[in-house]
Amino acid sequence: MKVLRVRDGLALCEDESGKHHTVELALVDAGAGDQVLVHAGVALVTL
Amino acid sequence: VKFVDEFRDAELGQVLAGEILASVEPGRHYKVMEVCGGHTHSIYKYGVDDLLPANVELVHGPGCPVCVIPMGRVDDGIAVAEEPGVIFTCFGDMMRVPGSRGTLLEAKADGADVRMVYSPLDALRIARSNPDRQVVFFAIGFETTAPSTALTLKRAKAEGLTNFSCMCSHVTIVPPLRALLDSPDLRLDGFIGPGHVSTVVGARPFEFIPAAYGKPVVIAGFEPLDILQAIQMILVQLREGRCEVENQYKRVVPYEGNQRALEVMAEVFELRPHFEWRGLGFISHSGLKLSEAYADFDAELRFSTPGIRVADPKACQCGEVLKGVIKPWECKVFGTACTPERPIGTCMVSSEGACAAYYNFGRFAREREVV
Repeated sequence: MKVLRVRDGLALCEDESGKHHTVELALVDAGAGDQVLVHAGVALVTL
Repeated sequence: VKFVDEFRDAELGQVLAGEILASVEPGRHYKVMEVCGGHTHSIYKYGVDDLLPANVELVHGPGCPVCVIPMGRVDDGIAVAEEPGVIFTCFGDMMRVPGSRGTLLEAKADGADVRMVYSPLDALRIARSNPDRQVVFFAIGFETTAPSTALTLKRAKAEGLTNFSCMCSHVTIVPPLRALLDSPDLRLDGFIGPGHVSTVVGARPFEFIPAAYGKPVVIAGFEPLDILQAIQMILVQLREGRCEVENQYKRVVPYEGNQRALEVMAEVFELRPHFEWRGLGFISHSGLKLSEAYADFDAELRFSTPGIRVADPKACQCGEVLKGVIKPWECKVFGTACTPERPIGTCMVSSEGACAAYYNFGRFAREREVV
């Protein structure tokens, strides 16, 4: 998913179909524009 | 390759299939286990096995998180869901797993407040919105999902939520692999290592497989070319007499894993002395429970659960399927009494289950000639 914006450790992300999701970013270093691998609402890897 | 369609390129697939064919010794039968249910799903969705020589057999491992949950654990979940005032939350697949008294979906139909969530954070949101109700999250999954539960519990603790708890049924991947390798039932030549679990734990935990058991492991991605390349890498190791952990999924999996995820898991969870796996029985130090610091969020301490071991239905052969001893279509009830619409066994419930993968992609039987 693509990170759109970050606030309080949570990111608004967009998946490949354009749907938006709230994602926990505590486990990776990522900012707006980065692609992250998300599992069960948590970003596990910055791609 | 960079884009997803390139990882599904049929011509490149044929090239890899040719390399695999060139890597095998005629007359030798190779058994390669894909550990992860996501790989099983991809293999049958894309017909990866149709590109393999007949003497390369894929064996489906115990890496589907729903499939390994025993019936007694489902009964425990239903008992908690039926407590007055409880909102019981779980992943969608888990709602359809049969216990001895039916499924969580049937408990919902009977009046229990059971809700499907996509992540434990959704369950936390429900708890915040319902301060007068007890909200329980049924946590299942391997090391891929456990960090999400751990972070959610950290947030719940930081917010001082008293109406949120977790029924922890998380499991770890290494102990069942060791159990399978120790099993006299199964002779395996190598492993396709789990891609997403490895993003968290890294490659190092699998080093015991080549070191102690002399089997190669290749951690792989989930696209068809990823899986084909991983098989080819395993066969090349065997041909060259090498035996090591290799990482085909380097674009996602760091060799050391995600240290932050491992730290948060170590803070929130501790290993149970033993945990029951469907089909595999009790395996030592294979399940997680909440640590002392998070005991206030442990649903099993907050509510009473039957905690009774329940034997699988006699007709169901999920255990043999999970151990790779039989193929799904060899089970007596596959595709007849047991279907994705009316599953008897867990392997037919989740799309990552081997039986569901075979059923959904038309593998009702398979006969192959050895080259």
